[in-house]
Amino acid sequence: MGNKVKSPFADRVFRTCIGIFLLAVAAIILVPVLNLLALSLTDPRRVSELSGLDVFPKGFSLIVYKVLAANPFFMKSILNSVFITVAGTLINLVATSMAAYALTRPNLPLKRVLMLLVIVIMVFEPGIVPEYLVVKKVGLMNSMWAVILYKSVNVYYLILLMRFFEEVPQSFIEAARVDGAGHWTILSRIMLPLSKSALATLGLFYGVMHWNEYFRASIYLNDPVKYPLQLILRQFVVLDDTAALVGAGTLYSYDEAARLSYAALRAGTIIVSIIPVLMLYPLILKYYTRGVMEGGVKE
Amino acid sequence: MTTRSGQGALAFASSLRREWFLFLLLAPAFVYFFVFHLWPMAGMVIAFQDFRLIGKSRFVGLKHFIVLFSSPAFYKVLTNTLILSAMKIILFFPLPIVFALLVNELRAAALRKFTQAVAYLPHFLSWVAIAGIWIAFLSPSTGGANQVRGILGLPPLDFMTSKSHIRWVLFASETWRSLGWDSIIYLAALMRISPSLYESADMDGASALQKMRFITLPELVPTMVTVFILNLGFFMNAGFDQVFNMMNDSVISVIDILDTYVYRIGLVNMQYSFSTAASLFKGAIGLVLILSTHVMAKRTTGKGLW
Repeated sequence: MGNKVKSPFADRVFRTCIGIFLLAVAAIILVPVLNLLALSLTDPRRVSELSGLDVFPKGFSLIVYKVLAANPFFMKSILNSVFITVAGTLINLVATSMAAYALTRPNLPLKRVLMLLVIVIMVFEPGIVPEYLVVKKVGLMNSMWAVILYKSVNVYYLILLMRFFEEVPQSFIEAARVDGAGHWTILSRIMLPLSKSALATLGLFYGVMHWNEYFRASIYLNDPVKYPLQLILRQFVVLDDTAALVGAGTLYSYDEAARLSYAALRAGTIIVSIIPVLMLYPLILKYYTRGVMEGGVKE
Repeated sequence: MTTRSGQGALAFASSLRREWFLFLLLAPAFVYFFVFHLWPMAGMVIAFQDFRLIGKSRFVGLKHFIVLFSSPAFYKVLTNTLILSAMKIILFFPLPIVFALLVNELRAAALRKFTQAVAYLPHFLSWVAIAGIWIAFLSPSTGGANQVRGILGLPPLDFMTSKSHIRWVLFASETWRSLGWDSIIYLAALMRISPSLYESADMDGASALQKMRFITLPELVPTMVTVFILNLGFFMNAGFDQVFNMMNDSVISVIDILDTYVYRIGLVNMQYSFSTAASLFKGAIGLVLILSTHVMAKRTTGKGLW
């Protein structure tokens, strides 16, 4: 590749046009989000000046976030979301990696039957009513555990991790076995450390999935104190139910309410809901892109 | 026969004694599979009953299916599902390919990284947040979309409540969310193209456009085939979360899909058996689609779902 030919003029024009076009695409993706950020930070007296295409606030005020932070309902929902996300992701990782290990052992009895079961689960969805009735029957109604456990293992991720475990050289495992290592030692000392980036990717994907969960919460939880943030967001932003956030009149003082536009409050709520995803995003890019480029991750 | 199965059972029992620890490792996942997947699957028997929460449910055969297949609402919902799926699977299909091809042409690493980072981001936002963002952006009074229309001299439009626009809103928001993410698989395939192909094209004096057309695009065809076939397997899933969060009373008739219909008649109207009959119909079609696309993908490209 020593011959560094300068690309012809036409090619440079072509590539510049592509660059400009892609920047426009990036702008279309970002502007609606940045506009909401700007709206949430705009001085309440100047909200009417802000255009739907502005990406910088008019004036500056944190009042929207102060109001949200003073709202016990809202703050509780963040705690609920954190609990669901952390507990859920831990369960996901433990259950998925243990099952992936066992299912990749050549001498596992009933292996074919168990794999068939996994595939049946992958290709057939029973629908929401039968699941709802089971949750009711096992007494998980109105429990955050229903929202956590309904997705304990994602079969696609399970198969992905199995492919990773299969790549671990058999000689490593044999050597450990000669030294007297049992399954637990092999799993915890060999398989898991060798699959760190796969586990990180799965953990991030599972984590985002739990953080973004709202539907199961809406059907399994009746007690608003248990609602996760996404459900509050749905009621307030999508269903325009202001009582979800400002109801009962006690949540913040009337003066503040009079000064604030609901549009700005909605914008602030949306921004808060995506902040954790933004914080994890650099890690997602790092681990996932690495996985893809190594060819280990398929979907 | 009995002795053989008896021996089998004996062999199984001894291997179980040896490998009991593996079953312990499998236990959490399989208890979960049993409770949240297999039990509900068995529970679908209520599609053939008049289900009651208290007391005994009566067997009614195909009654719910007959009602379902003779109800105009069902055909409307089925049509909506097929239309929205076709838009998302067929119409959307070339867009991530084009995006990947364009990103591939960028030579400035910083610009390339920035474009990719921005384009992948919406995939990680919840549909609740995306709906919030789009409802604000499409607002007839303050939204950015209508400001652009104003600049172009067009009157403001309430996209979210317009029957003739809402499907395109769903298509646009799906594109906004998935354009970048769905291009990853193509970008990964591009990295595997041998540089020698481009080098010999350079020696022949090929332009960037010619290289894109005659080297890069053909090399992507196997990936395109796999992606397209596997997507067809999910034709019955027209996007519950998206529709559920972007639907309102004005547009329900044009975007109500099977999944939202099942939810509404089942968990809102509490017609458990009737809703499950609709689920079973959807699940059966989905099963056939997924299995046949899996086999098709395996045959044509060697890569299936598992």
